[in-house]
Amino acid sequence: MEVTLTHIDRSQALRYLGYGTHAPDDATARRLEACEARLLSLMRPQYIYRVFPLEYVQGQPSLTGCRLPLEGKDIAAHLSGCSHGALLAATLSASVDQCLRQAQATDMTDALLYDALASAAIEQVCDAAAEALHRAMPALYQTWRFSPGYGDFPLAVQPVLLDVLDAPKRIGLCATDSCLLTPAKSVTALIGLSETEPPKRLRGCATCSMRDRCAYRGSCAYGTPPEPIKEDAT
Amino acid sequence: MTFAELLQKDFVFFDGGMGTMLQANGMQAGERPELLNLHNPALVEKVQRAYVEAGSDIICSNTFGANRVKLAGSGATVQQVIPAAIGCARRAAEGKALVALDLGPTGQMLEPTGSLTFEEAYDLYAEQVEAGKDADLFLIETMTDLYEVRAAVLAAKEHGGGKPVIALMTFEHTGRTFTGCSVSAMALTLEGLGVDAMGINCSIGPDELYPVVEELARWTTLPLLIKPNAGLPDPVTNQYNVSPAEFAKSMTRIAGLGVKILGGCCGTTPEYIRALREAVSGMAFTPRQVQVPAAVCSYSRTVVIDRPRVIGERINPTGKKLFKEALLRGDIDYILGQAITQVHGGAEILDVNVGLPAIDERDMMVRTVKALQGVVDVPLQLDSTMPQVLEAALRVYNGKPIVNSVNGEEKSLSTVLPLVKKYGAAVVGLTLDEQGIPKTAEGRFRIAKRILDRALALGIRREDVYIDCLTLTVSAEQDGAVQTLEALRRVKEELGLKTMLGVSNISFGLPNRELVNHSFLLMALQNGLDLPIMNPNVASMMDAVRSYCLLANIDRNATDFIAAYGNAAPKAQPAAAPGDMTLDFAIENGLKQEGARITRQLLEQMDSMEIVNGQLIPALDKAGAAFEQGKLFLPQLIQAAGVAQAAFGEIRSYLTAHNAAPVNRGKVILATVKGDIHDIGKNIVKVLMENYGYQVIDLGRDVPPETIVAAALEHQVKLVGLSALMTTTLGAMEETIRQLHVNNVPCKVVVGGAVLTADYAAQIGADYYARDAKESVDIAKQVVG
Repeated sequence: MEVTLTHIDRSQALRYLGYGTHAPDDATARRLEACEARLLSLMRPQYIYRVFPLEYVQGQPSLTGCRLPLEGKDIAAHLSGCSHGALLAATLSASVDQCLRQAQATDMTDALLYDALASAAIEQVCDAAAEALHRAMPALYQTWRFSPGYGDFPLAVQPVLLDVLDAPKRIGLCATDSCLLTPAKSVTALIGLSETEPPKRLRGCATCSMRDRCAYRGSCAYGTPPEPIKEDAT
Repeated sequence: MTFAELLQKDFVFFDGGMGTMLQANGMQAGERPELLNLHNPALVEKVQRAYVEAGSDIICSNTFGANRVKLAGSGATVQQVIPAAIGCARRAAEGKALVALDLGPTGQMLEPTGSLTFEEAYDLYAEQVEAGKDADLFLIETMTDLYEVRAAVLAAKEHGGGKPVIALMTFEHTGRTFTGCSVSAMALTLEGLGVDAMGINCSIGPDELYPVVEELARWTTLPLLIKPNAGLPDPVTNQYNVSPAEFAKSMTRIAGLGVKILGGCCGTTPEYIRALREAVSGMAFTPRQVQVPAAVCSYSRTVVIDRPRVIGERINPTGKKLFKEALLRGDIDYILGQAITQVHGGAEILDVNVGLPAIDERDMMVRTVKALQGVVDVPLQLDSTMPQVLEAALRVYNGKPIVNSVNGEEKSLSTVLPLVKKYGAAVVGLTLDEQGIPKTAEGRFRIAKRILDRALALGIRREDVYIDCLTLTVSAEQDGAVQTLEALRRVKEELGLKTMLGVSNISFGLPNRELVNHSFLLMALQNGLDLPIMNPNVASMMDAVRSYCLLANIDRNATDFIAAYGNAAPKAQPAAAPGDMTLDFAIENGLKQEGARITRQLLEQMDSMEIVNGQLIPALDKAGAAFEQGKLFLPQLIQAAGVAQAAFGEIRSYLTAHNAAPVNRGKVILATVKGDIHDIGKNIVKVLMENYGYQVIDLGRDVPPETIVAAALEHQVKLVGLSALMTTTLGAMEETIRQLHVNNVPCKVVVGGAVLTADYAAQIGADYYARDAKESVDIAKQVVG
């Protein structure tokens, strides 16, 4: 599915750039705005998701009719109490990679700003996908997005996850031999769907396996524990 | 029955979805359908037989993802799966249908966005084609990357024993693929490569696809194959939303566009094919009347030669000291800079010549073409005197380029034109031969005619031959210019060919060269010049092209002219900039052009090392300290570095012009480790280090440990910097350090990257951990000096 973003969360981009709560100087702010406009005009964000019923064998979940293995205790904890799992893949498109390459060949400052903006934008695309999922299944609560590589959920599932979603065909998203997503500004994740409100588990840094060595600790998109998506089923 | 015979019918029918049918028969999502050829051939055969019974003239083998990469870990090989798959299809066809070897995408993205190289992709397809040689034809489908299609088509043509090749790509309703490939670029490139039919499959339903098919039908004379999806799948039920009857009805409209071959993709079943067959049974095929214009393209941008188009001449070492040095250093960034500057100046095509006796031109050409097509979207003109360099470049070029050049000599005609034909390029013909350059227009016209005849005889289209009537220096032969212009006019009028001319040569040895060039350019345009090769960054030259297009009524409503000059108000200067600005001020405020200007002035007054040590580095240190104190943020630090980079550029030009040794504090190797493709952090470090005068040997991203060890030994560096962004690639970092130690490379290692900590760096044996780019420079000062 296509998404059209009308703006990019600049304050999030500034956090990625290390500004914390500081405001940027005027020149940087203007430049960021110009980069945002160009990025919005050239990216073609896409997402795709597919919902599978969950089965449990001795507490370990699996997706019914799907070959994606859900190994590890973290994914099991994430999905506990859920009746369905939604596999999600989202990308800003290869044009953003081209833009980043071009900027790196001409002006490194622009490259840095584009990079941060794109990181913020892909989260917004994921938010849009989660909203669409909510509209499709309004009676179910959603957990936050759990990606391959979090906790003990192995990154190695990436190729199968993409295969299940037909992501190369449907949204142009692939993985390298080392399971990194291409285009670079992309996300894959598993969202749990539950008939009852899931417990407010902490997300982000507290559960992140990289918490001890991450330079973005406290400032990444996963830094703040959100409310589970909750709207009355109407 | 053969494919060619089938094409004699009004319409030819392909099959529909395979995965859809297998999933309906219990295959799980994420399972490898290709393994069923071995484990459940009866099921595969059953699905294919149903298509034959529904009326498919051609069925596909169940081999969409049967390549080495996707089959890895499955326990089955390409050599087992593909013959088994052809066997299933043959049994199902029972001689009533042809069998196509189905070739889908590799599943990985190719360089530059992905890490799979063009050559690796070619090898994957070649292996599949070898294993599936028994098929009647090859169907390459569901492609979104033109580069990957090119790899597959070349593999099918070079390993497929001359059997027909059909190539299909997957477009969004916007008329672009996910990688940005346009319909016209696909058509021009694939027709050039000599496929037997082309078309579109997958992605969206037939109605949404209609305008895209309409566009494609205008860009190729080849038979078209269209296989849409049955609409879109529901994310919960996975059911497609277009019924067989609706599908068939929409496909009759598509058939009406002059599409000969019809079929279905995801979500379609034998029901759809049956309905489709019945729906078009009463229709007669109407052949398309297509005149494809003279045009060249990159994968995303098509340039139609229907008006003067400027070819940038600056990527060429002839007479350029800095360019030669960059080539000797293997400095691709310098070339990219030249390319981007020319595109900003108005070049619509770039000539690429990297010939220098001291370097491996073939290797450099391939690296340059790959790098250029990753950052600029204008088509390229591949320029070399060596056929083997041209062929290597043609192979990796992702689009339809121009070959520069062939001439009237027999040796040139017989070596260059076959390459042009094979790779589907356009070609520049120079009007010279064994006897040299004829003095008269008539002599040059005759050579042009000879080149054209030879090209046509090989099957090269008339529209793809551009003639260069050769500019001679007017100061040496004053009567030459008139002859050139007369030859150009006759080639254009009598042969109907597009014309090209290098303009700048005309004024060699004269004063006020720019005036002479400008005037000659206008005269040539008036005589029918289509493709001036020139420097687009000389304002008067671009002015001449734009005003000519305006006055010749080519630039309708003066659109381009006004766009170029309508808002030509002088750019506002930053208010705070004092008249006697210092380099320090320029760096602090990110004023690149000012920084360069001041450096030029300083170079007239003081020694370059004095500028570097007395001004540049202190200013950078100041910015670095402010960054450390949290007073300055990363974008500002990098902006300051950008100004210093511009200042350094000026110093380098100055030193080169005065034959002095460049500023060099020592070499440092930087690399993003194997498996990691995120390299922005490494590139930031590179800029900063270069600012401090270090010569950075940038090995790029996804670099194997062996390469790093070899480079460290070869260059005898004191410091190697490694970066990794992902936890998963930290292992590769550790392995690289281990190999540096095992091989006793006498260097220190500094590591950095978002997921690293000082503790972890120590644990994997790194000598230093750099928290940020600034710190990496501090470490370089310590280690290298």
